[in-house]
Parts: sequence; structure tokens; C-alpha cells
Amino acid sequence: MDTKPDIYKVLMTLSALFLLLPKTEAQGSYDSLKLQLPKHYFKTVIVLDAYRKPEQSIPDTTDFLSKKLKSYGVNQFIFSLNTPIATFERPQYDSTQPKKNTHLLLTANYMRLQPIFDGIQTHSLVKTGIGIRLVVNSGKKGIWFIDTAPFVTRDATYANSPAEWRMANTIVYSHNKSEKFNWRIGITKSFMWGNRNYLPFIGLRFGRLNKTHLSIQIPRHISLNVPVNDKFTMSFYTKPQGGMWNFSNRDSVYYLGNASTFHFTRYEINTGFRADVRVNDFFNFYVALGFSTKNNITFYSEKENSKNKNVPYKKFFYEQDMPATGFFNLGLVFKFGKTKSYIGDKNIYDAIDLNNTVGGGDDNISNGNTQIPIAPKKATDLNLKSVQDLIDYNDF
Amino acid sequence: MICSIFFFAPKVFSQGERVEALRAEFIKKKVEMNASESEKFWPVYNEYNDKVRALRRNVRQSFKKAPDNLTEKEAEDLYQLDMKSKQAEADVHKQYGDKIKGIIGIKKLALLRKAEEEFKEILVKSAKEN
Repeated sequence: MDTKPDIYKVLMTLSALFLLLPKTEAQGSYDSLKLQLPKHYFKTVIVLDAYRKPEQSIPDTTDFLSKKLKSYGVNQFIFSLNTPIATFERPQYDSTQPKKNTHLLLTANYMRLQPIFDGIQTHSLVKTGIGIRLVVNSGKKGIWFIDTAPFVTRDATYANSPAEWRMANTIVYSHNKSEKFNWRIGITKSFMWGNRNYLPFIGLRFGRLNKTHLSIQIPRHISLNVPVNDKFTMSFYTKPQGGMWNFSNRDSVYYLGNASTFHFTRYEINTGFRADVRVNDFFNFYVALGFSTKNNITFYSEKENSKNKNVPYKKFFYEQDMPATGFFNLGLVFKFGKTKSYIGDKNIYDAIDLNNTVGGGDDNISNGNTQIPIAPKKATDLNLKSVQDLIDYNDF
Repeated sequence: MICSIFFFAPKVFSQGERVEALRAEFIKKKVEMNASESEKFWPVYNEYNDKVRALRRNVRQSFKKAPDNLTEKEAEDLYQLDMKSKQAEADVHKQYGDKIKGIIGIKKLALLRKAEEEFKEILVKSAKEN
């Protein structure tokens, strides 16, 4: 039997289908205009964050190092960048399927921490990192968030101070039961609590992200957020802050061995009030004030400890709990780039919130979710420029 | 200096997000959608708005850029662009109208159009007052 004619028929039919299919799409005329639409849902966000905690005398007066260090305070500056690299949309979705998209983002951060010890020279401990995060929006209820944030720490006070690589990671599944209720579960590898810890990530949110809501995101933060109006949001929060840095031994703080560098770790719990001011679509700032409690600092030498097999590597040669004190935090947030519209899209709102909850570089700072728009109470102060795409001359 | 540019010149920068947020709240109030409808509706509706906005912006900017003493050819090109854009906008309306009808049904689609017109009235009133 000759099958060639059948093959030709099949090929002809398939070719005709491929040729005709695009024409069945009503947007042929739209495509012919070759208009450029925004590619991403996330803006490029730059945060400049300054944090200060006043000096306090070290309460212990008996230990040799306590006497040498005398007091402890913190000056901290963070530069954080978060930018979308690629956005993948579900190809050819139709209205019967939810819109699915995947976002690849780049994070970069620079932190300069100055622990102020009155008895020794002020050290500038630097942490620099660049990371990647992936946000997978199923379009239905769930979002997957995967973040990997490698970073380097070194004591920048001295040019030849060695650096050390570390890595913070987070994987979270976030489930939007509704706009008003969300739960999250995952795991995070973080240095927020002074040392490397693998911690479960458990999150609960009650309330819509653009309205008053209570957000419990353990171990990142617990916050009550109240948008007073479209320009101003108040928050009451508690969150840990800390990390691990290389610390040069030029001051002979480590007097038990000959290590040139050892580790300095710190953590604290900050509880306070924060005000976020949305100046416009491109800029906002925040001011936070509160109490810093559970203050802890440690010094230990991994190198020296490793020589002695009976000593666990994390054994501290110095550990001190400090009394509670006040803190001050100021942040400037710059947002760049046009995005695809995501108004009312609860999954994109949640993706933005996840991206901000897990601040870049394990620094645990948040830019305040100001990419999620809040509706003004009235349409009275809208300028004409912002509505020109919605109304026509003939509408007047 | 950068901060002061951003802080003291808010009128220079777009405040479109606030308008969009206000419109979304208005539509949510006027068109009662269930969770499943809402989940599918907003991404499609946003995409539709992005396309319409891009079309209108393109025409507006092309006319804005055109010199006062434009040539016959330039005028013809602008006319063709205007016509093509209007045709494309009609196509986008049809395509996305069908999609949205498939999600929320014809009755709610009518309510959506009604809400859009009402919102437009609010904007026009606000623009007149300002």
C-alpha cells in the first residue's frame, strides 16, 4: 500500500494549521504595531539603610576582655539592590487557566558594621554579597520562593585582613488561602542569630497586604501594619538582627592564641514602631525607633578551636549579654523601572511581600512593601498626567 | 541631592499606581466576584489594560513628537498609525472581552463596563476640579 499521499496530506494539514493559527488570534493588528510592554512584575529596588544603637558600658567588670573592651554600641549601613533578570509567563494561557509566571531576581548587598568598643579601635566589618532568587507563581494559591545569598565577610579596617565566604539560603512555600489569609512554610539557613542556623520558616498573615494586616513570619519578623492612607503606613514590629563577621586581631583581643582573625557574632531583638512614607511611585523612606533587647555578642576563633579536638569549634572565648537599649533606623528606598500591571493580583502581591520579607543578603531589612499600591480614600488629589491613559478628550 | 530630587519633585513623577489602586477598589466594590473568579480575572484584566495603555501612549507620544510643519508623508504616517492603533484597540477589546466573559460571565462583564464608565466620570470630575 502506498502511504506517501497520506503523509503529504498530514504534512499539508499541519502546515496549514501552523500558517493559519496565528491569524486566528485577534491581536494580529496589535502585534503589528510592535509596542514595547514592560517585561517584569518586580521593580528594581535600591535600599539605603542606616541603623544606630548607642554605646553602653559592658556590665561585666571582672573578665579581662570586658575590661579591655569597656563599652559596646553599633553603627550599621546597608546598601541593598533587588532587580528582576527574567520573567517567564505561561505560554498561550487562556482564560480557563490561571496565569502562571516565574521570576528570576538578582540581589546584591553591602553592609558595613561598626561595633563600637570604647577600649579598642573602631573596626569596619564588611559583608558583601550577590545572590539569586526564584519566585514561582502557580497562578492558583501557591507560590514557591527560593533564595540563595552567598556573601563574603572581612574586616575592612585592615587592607590585608582575610575574607571568608558564607552562604544564606531560604526555601518557602506560600499559600494564599484568600486575599485575607496566607500561610507559609519552609526552611532557612541564616546567620541572623549570630551563628549559622538552620531554622524552620513559618508564616501566617491575617488581613490583605494593602490593608491593615498582622504578619507573623518566624524567624524573620512579627508585625502589625496599618496603612493610615495611601502615603503613610505605620507598623509595630519585632525582629531579630545580627550576623557573623571576620574580626582582625590587631588589637590582640584574642590573647589565648595567635590567630590573626577570629569571628565576631552578634544578635539582638528589635521591637519598635516604624513609619513608611510613600513620596511617589519612585521613592519612599522609613523611620523606625524602638528597643533593642536580648543583645548578645561573642568572639571565638574557629582556627584555634580546631587545634583542640576536645573543644567544639563554636566555643566562645568571649560572650556577653548586654542590657536593653534604644535604637534608631532610617531607610531610603528608590524604585526604578516600569512593570506589568499587577493591581488586585493577590499572588503577585504575595510574591512582592515574600521578596521583601526575606531581605537580600540575610540582612533582614525590609523596604516596606511599597510596591503594593494603596488606594487613596478619594480621587480628589489625582493629577491629570496620571489619568491621561484612562480618559479621553470626549469624556469631558 | 538625589533624595531631594525624589522628595521635592513628586508632581514630576507619575502617580499612576494610586489611580490604578483606586480603580481596582472601585471595581471590587461594584462587581462582586468570588475568589476563583477574582484569581483569574485580575491578571487578565491587568494585561488588557497594559495593552490599551501602550496603544494610547504610543499614539499620544507620536503626535506629541511631530513637528508643527510636518510633511505630507509624516502626516499620512501619523494618520495610518492612529487608524491602526484604533483598530488594534478594538481587537484587544474583543479578545480580552471574550476572555473576561469566560471568567466572570456576561452579567458581571456588563457590571464591569458600567463600573469603568462610573470610575471615568469620577476621574473627569476630579480632573476638572484640579
